[in-house]
Amino acid sequence: MCDIEEATNQLLDVNLHENQKSVQVTESDLRSESELLVTIGATVPTGFEQTAADEVREKLGSSCKISRDRGKIYFVISVESLAQVHCLRSVDNLFVVVQEFQDYQFKQTKEEVLKDFEDLAGKLPWSNPLKVWKINASFKKKKAKRKKINQNSSKEKINNGQEVKIDQRNVKKEFTSHALDSHILDYYENPAIKEDVSTLVGDDLASCKDETDESSKEETEPQVLKFRVTCNRAGEKHCFTSNEAARDFGGAVQDYFKWKADMTNFDVEILLNIHDNEVIVGIALTEESLHRRNITHFGPTTLRSTLAYGMLRLCDPLPYDIIVDPMCGTGAIPIEGATEWSDCFHIAGDNNPLAVNRAANNIASLLTKSQIKEGKPSWGLPIDAVQWDICNLPLRTGSVDIIVTDLPFGKRMGSKKRNWNLYPACLREMSRVCTPTTGRAVLLTQDTKCFTKALSGMRHVWRKVDTVWVNVGGLRAAVYVLIRTPQAFVHPSEQDGERGTLW
Amino acid sequence: MCVHIHVYLCLQTHRKWSERTYVKNLLSSHVWGVGPGGFPVCFQATEVCICPVEFNPHFVAPVIPKVEWAVFPEVADNLRLIQVPKGPVEGYEENEEFLRTMHHLLLQVEVMEGTLQCPESGCMFSISYGISNMLLSEEETEN
Repeated sequence: MCDIEEATNQLLDVNLHENQKSVQVTESDLRSESELLVTIGATVPTGFEQTAADEVREKLGSSCKISRDRGKIYFVISVESLAQVHCLRSVDNLFVVVQEFQDYQFKQTKEEVLKDFEDLAGKLPWSNPLKVWKINASFKKKKAKRKKINQNSSKEKINNGQEVKIDQRNVKKEFTSHALDSHILDYYENPAIKEDVSTLVGDDLASCKDETDESSKEETEPQVLKFRVTCNRAGEKHCFTSNEAARDFGGAVQDYFKWKADMTNFDVEILLNIHDNEVIVGIALTEESLHRRNITHFGPTTLRSTLAYGMLRLCDPLPYDIIVDPMCGTGAIPIEGATEWSDCFHIAGDNNPLAVNRAANNIASLLTKSQIKEGKPSWGLPIDAVQWDICNLPLRTGSVDIIVTDLPFGKRMGSKKRNWNLYPACLREMSRVCTPTTGRAVLLTQDTKCFTKALSGMRHVWRKVDTVWVNVGGLRAAVYVLIRTPQAFVHPSEQDGERGTLW
Repeated sequence: MCVHIHVYLCLQTHRKWSERTYVKNLLSSHVWGVGPGGFPVCFQATEVCICPVEFNPHFVAPVIPKVEWAVFPEVADNLRLIQVPKGPVEGYEENEEFLRTMHHLLLQVEVMEGTLQCPESGCMFSISYGISNMLLSEEETEN
């Protein structure tokens, strides 16, 4: 009997409870069905592995193994916590680990290596990971159902949803007339429509059992799963390519399970990750990356929500802090902030009316979503959008606790030349509004040379405490964590000895 | 030369296109060439909404000390709001009635359309669909 059939039968006995305490981390794999422990791998923005590990510890109680600078963390959870894993906000993609080889011995020739991969397919402990995959797939089924309903009702708006929308009036009408529809307005650059997974998973868990009963009927009619293998290979001493490995490993998997290979329309995605001598086989649990979850209206340089979340964590927000993003663009950072740190007040500002418009739209979408979830217009989101000039902020001196922003890189937005003037002016104005001693700033930029130069002239007001190197859209960038010194901001005029004279 | 004046802006809450009064004195503005000191800003609202927001004392109480009481009543006056407290009452943290009044004024009053004006320089800033435009024109930013 094929493993998958066995797994399916066993799955029907799995009992899912809603309120779970996290299970102590241990190495043993299989206990009784209800205590099934699995190792989950997660991809996170490179550089934020520690931040993600902190979130996992905080929310799931598990400690993580970090694959530093490779954007991956691993942790063990019990199967019942799977829903909560999807609620992690620092994670882009999730997969369940089938097996990890820390020191895989590659044979000398390509033929031998590929033959080993073929043999490997039949030797791996598939059944538990596949169980996890099955449970996970049932979450997605609900999501797909809701998507279909949403797609139908929002089709009429797709024409209006282009980014170039300038007239605010149209948007306003749109919202007031469709305020109660349960759709999420999705105007992405790419056509894939996303929903916030965490809003659905909670409901799903309760009715998961019904779902499996339903699907078990489908299973009795032999349903062949479709799969594909994705191989990521890094390392200099390999004598094979990722394509070859994927092809041969995939071939063996196909023979073993009698699944159908399908590159685009697959049910199961098998991951073969090879980094030097480390080989990890996994099954993907997310098909769309979680990182665009909050944003419905994109701009040219929208930041990943997972990156925004990581940056906010670096700020260490305290309750009732005022958190400002003075160059918010589409508002990715303040929106993430308002969702996760709802006891702080977030202000999103930009000089570009299109950007402010988009930010306001994204805020509105989020509000609609949370209203639907709660079922009533309840506590609002503590977030606001303003149009302003970063060099002349309409904020009182020392009134802001945290400044967190994505500075124009000078590549897609602005220019490197402009940055030479802009960065010092920004840092100066930010130092003015930020509270001395306790205030802090977390700033992302790719123009690290310009930033370092600008910062060197501001040591009396800003002290750098950390630099996190990240990858943003293929560009190497840095996140600088700054603390505001105790020195009060002094007006240039007062420095010169003049006292507020008119020009 | 830049100076600060206090601008009283309404900040958006749960409503999409609206602004509401929140930490009013949080905002000030730079206007080049204007004398130092703080001045309240005239606040003309052509469209105001009162929108219900769930009362949360833990959110309102920490804001009370941040309110600039010298000018709060005047702004509230401009918005034609009644029963505006002149200052924080003794033991306000436990005074639910006071907190509820402040909650209403700070979080439930929303300005959809209006203008702000700096009384000294006369610069105008507009509020439209709840978003205030605090950009200074070029001549205002010149040295």
